[in-house]
Amino acid sequence: MSEIKTTSLYDFHISKNAKVIDFAGWSMPFSYDGTLKEHHYVRESAGYFDVSHMGRLRLNYSQIEEINYLICSDLKNISNTKALYSIFTSEEGTAIDDVIFWKFEDDLILICNASNTNKIKTHLDIHSINYEDLTSSTDLIAVQGKNAIDIISNIMSVPDKFSTSKEGKYVYARTGYTGEDGIEVMLDTNDTLAFISELENRGVKPCGLGSRDTLRLEASLPLYGFELTDDISPIEAGLKWTVTNKEDFLGKDVIDQQIESKEHKHLKRFKLNAKQIARTGTICTSDGVEGIVTSGNISPILGYPIGFVLFKSNPADDLVEFDIRGNLIEGNLLYKRFLS
Amino acid sequence: MSETKYLETHEWYIVDGDNVTVGISDYAQGELGDIVFVTLPEVGQEFSKGDAIVEVEATKTVAEAYAPMNCVITEVNSALETEPELINNDPVGEGWMVKAEIKEMDDSGMSYQQYESFIS
Repeated sequence: MSEIKTTSLYDFHISKNAKVIDFAGWSMPFSYDGTLKEHHYVRESAGYFDVSHMGRLRLNYSQIEEINYLICSDLKNISNTKALYSIFTSEEGTAIDDVIFWKFEDDLILICNASNTNKIKTHLDIHSINYEDLTSSTDLIAVQGKNAIDIISNIMSVPDKFSTSKEGKYVYARTGYTGEDGIEVMLDTNDTLAFISELENRGVKPCGLGSRDTLRLEASLPLYGFELTDDISPIEAGLKWTVTNKEDFLGKDVIDQQIESKEHKHLKRFKLNAKQIARTGTICTSDGVEGIVTSGNISPILGYPIGFVLFKSNPADDLVEFDIRGNLIEGNLLYKRFLS
Repeated sequence: MSETKYLETHEWYIVDGDNVTVGISDYAQGELGDIVFVTLPEVGQEFSKGDAIVEVEATKTVAEAYAPMNCVITEVNSALETEPELINNDPVGEGWMVKAEIKEMDDSGMSYQQYESFIS
């Protein structure tokens, strides 16, 4: 194992009394004021997250055809001011990683999961795609929340949703992973503390990976390693909307066949009417179909346990029985997002 | 009332005559993070030392609190049903979990000083 990595803000996090955890080989802040408080900062006002552990690779437009072949979405034909969520697919149609592309007139940035940076780099190498790794020379700060855009508009001009912008030292897009509006900003590591201090002066609170997880779950967003893996396709994870690539791409035949046959694993949302949380790995059954919980926690806004469950096939019924430490707990599958 | 004693499994208890009050330590609540659900036992339920009496669900993980000695539950802190955060805010006070009648006294828990050096 290589040494544990830290972002440029590690000392700053410690000075804020952050609880730190090891995550994907990085020592990262888990919480500052507590996960629930931070969850509510974002839902009610605004919070910022150091997500500099995520991989940041600069790609070249000259290879857009080759890049487009590796993902299930149409990156090539969207405008050069857009941010795009997409999935690198394998020959078997499964997810190598879920990523964000930032398109600029002159530049293409790929943001991947920290746990997958090396895997993505190897994958790009195999397909002879050049990249410049910006991960250690830059930071990535997510500013998210009900008031995030109002606040950020005092610091930089705000692009449309899912659009990108560059302004002075800021390279950014109006994207996020909390279900709230906001932006994600890449900047030189030397400029990060000044930016954070501008945020804090405007009342934006630091938030850790604990609340990032409860926020993304409540917003029905998948996390690689849980809802998406090397063994789960975008279709199985309920992400058919990302399959917009009309040209040939890696794994396309398998994905097309899954769309056609509907015979594949199915990821579903669930809620429990209980005071137990069905956590990752909890086994359940619905209508005789076996499933396994990929993520589960309380929804701080709704006040009850929620989660994602992966079934071997599509269950006909919405009633599910979870085996939580030997007790059978009833839950329901949900066909809408957790938060309306 | 005797002094507050601590177990290696991070419960605290106070013996008062034939009765004992049980909760979890400040260290334990800090490790668990935000406590969101508490499943309490029924009054009259009997437990042996080491049995799980309370289940605590936190945002980070789930944990159980164990009986410090053989006892029968006489009262539960029902405030925790609606305000589980009492355990985070005041673990050795308002965040108490159960009171029980002692069936077999076992006062072998650690003093606060001993517990402090145990967790450090």
